[in-house]
Formats: sequence, C-alpha cells, structure tokens
Amino acid sequence: MKAKSFAWLATPVIAGVLAFLPTAQADDTTNAVSPTAPAPKKISGVELYAIHCNRCHPERYPVELKEAQWKTIMLHMRVRANLPAEQAREIMKYLQEEAGN
Amino acid sequence: MKIRSLILGAAAGGCAVGLTLPTTVAAAVSEEAFNALSDLVNKQGQALEDLKKTHQQDQQQIQQLQQQLGETSVLATNAEQKAEAASQAQTVYQAPNPATSATHNFIVTGDAEVQFGKTSGQNATFALADFAPIFLFRANDDTLFEAGFDITLNNNVDATGARAPGSSTTVSLSFAQMDYNLNDYLTLAAGDVILPLGTYSQRAAGWLNKIPDDPLIRDWLPGSGIGAMLQGAAPIGQSGQMVTYAVYGVNGPSSGNATNGVANASDLDLGGNVGDSPNWHPNPSGGGRVAWFYPWKVHYDVELGVSGQTGEWSDNRQHRWSACVLDAALHLGPYFEAKGEYVNTWFGTDDLGNVDPHGVWVQAAYKLAGLKQNLPLLNNLELVARYDNSDDAQGTRTDRYTVGYVYYLSNTLLFEGDYEFIKSHGPTALPPSLFVFQLSYGF
Repeated sequence: MKAKSFAWLATPVIAGVLAFLPTAQADDTTNAVSPTAPAPKKISGVELYAIHCNRCHPERYPVELKEAQWKTIMLHMRVRANLPAEQAREIMKYLQEEAGN
Repeated sequence: MKIRSLILGAAAGGCAVGLTLPTTVAAAVSEEAFNALSDLVNKQGQALEDLKKTHQQDQQQIQQLQQQLGETSVLATNAEQKAEAASQAQTVYQAPNPATSATHNFIVTGDAEVQFGKTSGQNATFALADFAPIFLFRANDDTLFEAGFDITLNNNVDATGARAPGSSTTVSLSFAQMDYNLNDYLTLAAGDVILPLGTYSQRAAGWLNKIPDDPLIRDWLPGSGIGAMLQGAAPIGQSGQMVTYAVYGVNGPSSGNATNGVANASDLDLGGNVGDSPNWHPNPSGGGRVAWFYPWKVHYDVELGVSGQTGEWSDNRQHRWSACVLDAALHLGPYFEAKGEYVNTWFGTDDLGNVDPHGVWVQAAYKLAGLKQNLPLLNNLELVARYDNSDDAQGTRTDRYTVGYVYYLSNTLLFEGDYEFIKSHGPTALPPSLFVFQLSYGF
C-alpha cells in the first residue's frame, strides 16, 4: 500500500528519463559505427560550469568573484559536488578568464 | 718573454759577428763587403728598434689588462657584498607566498534565511532568523579547511517545552572538515564531515532547497559525523559523464539517554557521538556512496546514487544502526528539475526489538521562463511540488503534499512560499496543514 502511494509519482520521472536517454544513446551508437564520424567533442569549461552549478543552484556570475576567490570556491565545490579534478580545472580556466578584478 | 729572447739573440748575433771578424780580415775587407756588413748592422738595429716598440706596446696592453682585471675584481666584490646584504635583508622580511598563505585565500560564503509561517492551530508568526556562514581557508591548491555554522534565534522554552520568557541564540557547528586532494581521483576529508547519505545534506542550504522545510525522512539520517572520508570522482570520456564514490568511517550514532546500559528506541541519538568524553561506545560506523552522473547535453542530465552506513549505536554494544539511501536527480533543460530519495533505516532496541523507519520524497520544479513569455514577473517564478511519505515503524505514518513557488529576486536572493497538506496518524502525528514564506539569500 505504501509502495503504491508513491510509485505513481516515480512513473513520470522514469518516463522522462527514458524519453530523453535513447536520443543520446542513438547518437553515441551512430558515432561508434561510422568510420568517418568525428571524435567526440571535449566538453568545455563554460559548459561544465553550466552543467554542474545548475545541479544545485542558479549559476553565479563569474565577475562576482576575483580569480583567487574562485580558486577557493572551486576547491570547495570540487569536494562538495564531487567533481573530477580534470573537470574542475576546465571550469577554473573559464573562471580565470572571466573573473572580476 | 719571446721579445726579450729576440732582443738578446739579435745582440748576441751582432757580437758574434764582430768577434768572428779578425782584424786582419777587417783590414783587408773590400768596400763592397763593408757596405754589406753595414747594411746588415743597420737592418739588425732597425729590427731591434721594432722589437723595442713591440715590447712597449705589449707592456701597455698588459697594464690595460691588469687595470681591467682590477676593475672586474672590484665589481665582483661589490656584487658579493650586495648579495650578502640582500640575503641578510630577506631574513628580516620575507614576502608572503600567495600559494601557501591561508589568510590570503580566506572567504566567507553561506546563506541566511528569514521565515514567516503558520501551522494549523497556532498563530501566524515570524518563525526563523537563521544565519549560516561557511568559512573557507585555502592553504594551497590542494588543501582546504571549511567550517559551517548555523546561528538561529529561538523563543525560550522550559524543560517541558512550554513557553518561557526571553529568547536565546543557538550557535551550532554544522560541519568542520579539512580537505586534502591526494590526487586527481581521491580527496581525504577529516573532521566533522558532511555524510554522503543521499545528496540532501550536501545541498541543504536554504537557497538551494526550493522548499523551506526539509523532507521528513531526513530526520532519520545524520547530517555529519566525526571521522574521516575518502571521496572522489572518475570521469567517463570527455562529455562530462562521471562516476563518484565515497567511503568513510565516523563515530556514528549513540545512546542519547544512556540509562544503566538500556538502549530504547527513543534513546537513539544520530548526531551525538562527537568523540568528546565520555566515549559513548568504542566501535565506529562505516559507510559510503557510489553514484553515476550523465549529462547528455548542457542542462540535460541524470544522477543516480546508492549510499549506506552501518555501525554500533547503543552504549551497551548490543545493537546496530544501519541505513540505505537511494537518490536520483534529473534535469530536462534549464527549466525543469526532479529529484528524490528513498531512505530505509534499521536499528535494534531493547524495548521495541528491531525498528525500520523508512520513507521517500520526490520533488519537481519548473521555471516559468520556459514558457517563453515576455513577462518579467513570470520569468522569475518557479513552481515547486513535493511529496513526502514516512513510516517511523513506531506507529506514526505521514503523507505530506507540498506546493509552492520560488521567486528569484536575483540569482542568489529568493522569496519562497509553500503550503503543506499533511495526512498523519500515530503518536507523533504532524498537524494537518501549514504554510510558510521564506526569504533566502546565498552569499
């Protein structure tokens, strides 16, 4: 009875995931079988910034903090959001370019 | 040296010629021979003069070189004296190195909230003033110390929970941990670490929640623990996909009311074993989380995680407390978000036997900016809904339906409001409804 009470709520969420995932998987498959397909695009720092920040909160504007402050925030967020080091470095590069002075 | 030898050689040659010419021969020498000899003597004299000039020039050059050598020695001596003076000055004052200066890289971040609410059967009132700073000290590129506080103002109550005069300020340490990046894949966190049981504890600030009240089942999980944790993430490809992981050991729960070694269900204290004297029980708890995060494009991503913890909780060492959490989060574009957690805990007790509180919460939010209407008021609004279900396994069951909104005054200043419909039965049942407004600021 308890399980039924919330199972219906999970259904649209799961349906949403399944609706969007096949598109991405199909793209990957196409890339895998095509000998002329370009190498997968490396995601940029600004894209990673948008992806990871919005997982929890609206993005902060890069000019809100100075470069040294962003370094501290990024070290904090690398731990809090469990970011891979390489991705954290890419985000930091973007913030270094856009940081306030 | 060579010049002197040449001069001496020429002189010796001249003497030898003079000596070897007998007088009888000189007397008999012809004019032609005399002239030849005279030319020879003149030539040797000329050569001698040339050699003297060359010798003088060489002497002058030697003197110049000796003078230059002297000047170079003076310069070297001066440079040495200056270097020594500089080194002595550095021992007096050394410029700070930004890479190792903790105070240079100090930041205060955090959040603050003010609430106004009304619970059914009670008066409407300003219910909360909360200031939650987080202090960040970056010692270098891989070392961070972070500490979060929660400072709230409360009405005074007496021992029975009834009203008492005055108010009090509560200051609590939410977490305090030292983070050190061992390498690209592992970070060591030690201290009062935020526990990765699900994701809510790590994303629990008021301006992150979208709904002021916490999910009901979060009360059954510790938010932090005294101990150490290894955590990290491994990217999969270069598209942003990754696997995250964490494993930790902490003191774990304890018996809050240790009465003669009895551990009743009401004695469970999830966050009280902080290692201070007395040491409640000797065995720590262990736990961890593993999760998969997959962004298939910017703002479109899914995260699935499983986490758990188990360990001794009762001071009589008779009982364990364990928890399992499943968490999920989904973003479909910049406007839609859904997330939720399923929590199941188990613990043994002396009075109720094994108890297994469990429940779930799911939440969805949609930013009306996605409607693409040119209405600023609408574009700043986000609608939120949450469903909570909880069974404390001690007779109280609750279903809570929450609808609310978030109005973004800026990207970090939020005005939130929600209404909660509650169906709750049992000895610790909740009131049937409440509404709350909250002003949240993340800084």
